[in-house]
Amino acid sequence: MSYPAYSAPHPASVSRRPAASPTTSAAVRSLGLTKTYGRGEASVTALAEVDVAFARGAFTAIMGSSGSGKSTLMHCLAGLDTPSSGQVWLGETELTALRDTELTTLRRERIGFVFQAFNLLPVLDARANMVLPMELAGSTPDPAWMQAVIARLGLADRLTHRPDELSGGQQQRVAVARALLPRPDVIFADEPTGNLDSRSGADVLGLLRSSVRETGQTVVMVTHDPIAASYADRVVLLADGRLAGDLSDPTADDVIDALRQLELGGTARSGGF
Amino acid sequence: MWKITLAQVRAHAGRLIASCLAIVIAVGFVVATLVLNETASASIARAVGAQYVDTDAVVLPDRTGGPLGPSNDVSTGPSLNELAPRIAEVDGVAAIAADTEAFAQALVPGRSGSQYVTVDSIPDEEALRWMRLSDGALPDAVGEVAVSARVGARVGDTISVTTYPSASPGGPVTEGTPEAVTDEVTVVGVVDLSGDPTAGLRGRFFATPQQVAAWGGADPTQLRVAATDGTDAATLVGALRAVLAEAGSSAIVRTGAEQAAEQVATLTGDNLALATFLLVFGAIAVFVAGLVIANTFAVLLAQRTRELALLRCIGATARQVRRGVLVEAAITGLAASALGVGIGIALAALVSALAAGVESPIPLGGLSVPPYAVATGLAVGTLVTVLSALAPSKAATRVAPLAALRPMDNAPLRSRRGLVRLVLGLGLLLPGLALTALGVAIGGILVALPGGMLSTLGALLLLQRAIPPVVALAGRLIGGLGGVPARLAAGNATRNPRRTAATATALLIGVTLTTALLVGAASTRATVAADLDRSYPTDVIVRSFSEPMPAALAEQLRAVDRVEQATALVRTNATGPDGTPSEVLGIDVAQARSTVRAAQDELPGPGQVTVNTDLAQQWGLAEGDPVTFSTDGSAVELSAHLVDGYDLLMSPEDVLSLDPAAGFGQIWLRLSDDLDAEASAKAIDEITDLASQAVPSIDITGLISVRQAINSILDTLLLVVTGLLGIAVVIALIGVGNTLALSVIERRQENGLMRALGLTRGQLRGLLAWEALLVAGVAAVLGVMAGSFYGLAGTAAILGETGEVILDFPFLQVLAVVVVATGAGVLASVLPARRATRTSPVAAMMT
Repeated sequence: MSYPAYSAPHPASVSRRPAASPTTSAAVRSLGLTKTYGRGEASVTALAEVDVAFARGAFTAIMGSSGSGKSTLMHCLAGLDTPSSGQVWLGETELTALRDTELTTLRRERIGFVFQAFNLLPVLDARANMVLPMELAGSTPDPAWMQAVIARLGLADRLTHRPDELSGGQQQRVAVARALLPRPDVIFADEPTGNLDSRSGADVLGLLRSSVRETGQTVVMVTHDPIAASYADRVVLLADGRLAGDLSDPTADDVIDALRQLELGGTARSGGF
Repeated sequence: MWKITLAQVRAHAGRLIASCLAIVIAVGFVVATLVLNETASASIARAVGAQYVDTDAVVLPDRTGGPLGPSNDVSTGPSLNELAPRIAEVDGVAAIAADTEAFAQALVPGRSGSQYVTVDSIPDEEALRWMRLSDGALPDAVGEVAVSARVGARVGDTISVTTYPSASPGGPVTEGTPEAVTDEVTVVGVVDLSGDPTAGLRGRFFATPQQVAAWGGADPTQLRVAATDGTDAATLVGALRAVLAEAGSSAIVRTGAEQAAEQVATLTGDNLALATFLLVFGAIAVFVAGLVIANTFAVLLAQRTRELALLRCIGATARQVRRGVLVEAAITGLAASALGVGIGIALAALVSALAAGVESPIPLGGLSVPPYAVATGLAVGTLVTVLSALAPSKAATRVAPLAALRPMDNAPLRSRRGLVRLVLGLGLLLPGLALTALGVAIGGILVALPGGMLSTLGALLLLQRAIPPVVALAGRLIGGLGGVPARLAAGNATRNPRRTAATATALLIGVTLTTALLVGAASTRATVAADLDRSYPTDVIVRSFSEPMPAALAEQLRAVDRVEQATALVRTNATGPDGTPSEVLGIDVAQARSTVRAAQDELPGPGQVTVNTDLAQQWGLAEGDPVTFSTDGSAVELSAHLVDGYDLLMSPEDVLSLDPAAGFGQIWLRLSDDLDAEASAKAIDEITDLASQAVPSIDITGLISVRQAINSILDTLLLVVTGLLGIAVVIALIGVGNTLALSVIERRQENGLMRALGLTRGQLRGLLAWEALLVAGVAAVLGVMAGSFYGLAGTAAILGETGEVILDFPFLQVLAVVVVATGAGVLASVLPARRATRTSPVAAMMT
């Protein structure tokens, strides 16, 4: 396993955040985003009037307990789900105005995904899985870039293996590579370390962050794990479908404190360094 | 468990309907086949043996010879007339009828040409009268007749009837012209002969025994006996046989039913073949229905593995779960089978009604529902459903509950189960193929059929191993064409052999069956046609008794509409090797070749005379032996050529050398091809008219009508078979739809992931369509290959014992099957694809 020279000892000791105002260089943002399921008495409000923006070139985490609406928020931001009301923009493109086919086309070109589980198609080998979105778009990845990504992720000797021949951590790394290859506007990661042991998890998180640092990739990660959240530059807290907090460069302890405060009914904020 | 079972039934009504549908249709198919079998057999027996059905015992003289050639009475002992009083005294005999027959020429007002009719006597005893009237009444005095519909006369018409009471055809040839007697008779009734395939051959008259005797029919041809109440037919036959043996008679006694069966056998050539054919088809129906139910049900149950595992997690024991599944299967199976039985009977009734409307030669008159059909339908449906629920229920309970809740893993082929399948599959396939080959070699369908079934089962088991490489190969071909969706489709199809094989199996069964029947039917038709042409090579034979026919008659007959060719044969009497006079005929072979339809080797070569094989045996001749015929003054020695026909044929020169004054004795006519029954009847009437004007004592034999009758029987059978085929195909399609739907559900997460990554809805539909196309295409091609093999083997096995088999391969029809099957497979993927694309990616992945 070969990693580049860069490796972060602990996330909290590094603090760097691109200073940019949210609206002009927001990679993805939402306005009045609402999502309800069901009808009448059985209706459930997953998101209620959420206004949020995610900066370019930043690693942002969306945090909350189960049922807070964090996954729903990510799905709506990524164009995987349509909100009941409100708007979502990816850069200058309004996602909520697009039809399914356009959304799908947009997803394959401008958004990357890393899911918690079932990331890869069992029928394809690692290499084929990696290039799948680009193939669907009908384009081929830049060979040099692909080489670099494979090298960075240490997958050179795993390219011809099928997912059932790879470990959980290796599968996630293939997923990360897949997300990186088309150099998308945003990479959405939904609990990427949820199924991994702590060491593989740390690997994947480190990779995500290094992509942000080295290539200016925007990453938005949904997680419930405070340690994972501490890898991010900014943590957005959700509770009951509403924004309930905004932390910048938090440590794991900061996050835990903020969560506890939420439970006690308050909101938590902390300034940046 | 009960409540859970019921709740599940209610919740999954849709899925249950799908599985019920397969059972209902499959059982309906089986029951319809069996009922139609029985109805057809009963109808044929009833129609053809109409006169024997109500008769308890029949006494017949011992006869040799073919049904259409001269038959010789070789019985010994007292004549039937003498036996009648003795039989009347036997205990248990209620009434006797001595059936007599005569032959006459009838001129019906308003019809062109006279007809040659047979006249049957009407018994005095009511109990033995079998004639059904469609108009008027039966005659009770001399000068009255009842006619069959073929005659074309109405009640009240007066018909002029010419008979030769002093001569009877088939007997010894007399010198000089037999004396003709012409009477006028009144038609008093029309007899309903509908359902008798021979009714169209020639007209029939029915008259009192006195009238028949006046026309030359004095000696009874058979005695029909009615038993007293309480005497059963078999006992009566036994008693009669005793009496006859005592009297030193070699006459034959049979029960009415046996004689009816004999009649059917004579008509269809081989009773066993007909019964076997229908039995075979019934067996195939059961087999196919069983396979498809098993396939469909297993697939549907596999969906519920997780549900069942969940039940186990919350506390149901393995046995409770298994029992619940089996009970559910039994109830579903029984209910659906009952419905299927009802539908099958209804379907058979519909087919029977349609056949009656179309005036088929075998009317499926009424409906004959044998209890075994109902029992078989219920048994097959319920049993197969329960059996097919066994394996999935065991599978669900064998795995630890939590493990079963995780996403399904693909069973690797190298597992122990895979090995068992391989061994079992080969163990069934190879012996099955050997049996089939044996059946073909010896011409025994009852050997080949089990062989076919075994090999099918074996092949289906091996399908899991065979399909992936074939699909992979085909996948590589389409991969280049269809882009990413096609390549993904190819990968999907090869990855899960079990699922691919299940989808392919459903379609394979339907395609194999269809192809086998198409190929079998085509080959059967070709073989039967050739056989008929060989057996009845001449359409019409015009024969005079002893008076020579004018030379111009042949040309006159040739000029008749729809007559294509005419050949005249010279005739004389010569003494054969046994010292008795025989009729010999001279035929111009070159001319005859264009007149006869086949059987070129039935004609004599130069220096040869054709001798019937039985006659040759009598004369002690082998093929090629010299045989001499002589008349006063000359003799000729020829080489014997053994044939099936009954005439002694030689060259015209040889006949003329025996008798320079020989005149024409027969004219062979060939009619246009593809004439229907009515057209050929008209042609024969015209021929009769012309010929009888020239020579009154003429005998016209319309062999073409016999051939047509047999052809229509075959057509009707094949029609019924093809109709039932459609049902088999529908079942197959349901199976395909089910397995495709299941595969879509199994891959929800994958499909959701791909949608998330950027596969558009259209591309997803394309992917599923490609997959369906791939699997359906492979299944269709494999099915067509297997079906062709079984069809040809089946035909060879069935017809092998009757002679040479001609194999005909209907290329166009088979190609159509491949196209339709593949298209149907793709079509079956439309609904599942819609469901897949309508689910949002997120919902799909979160399953």
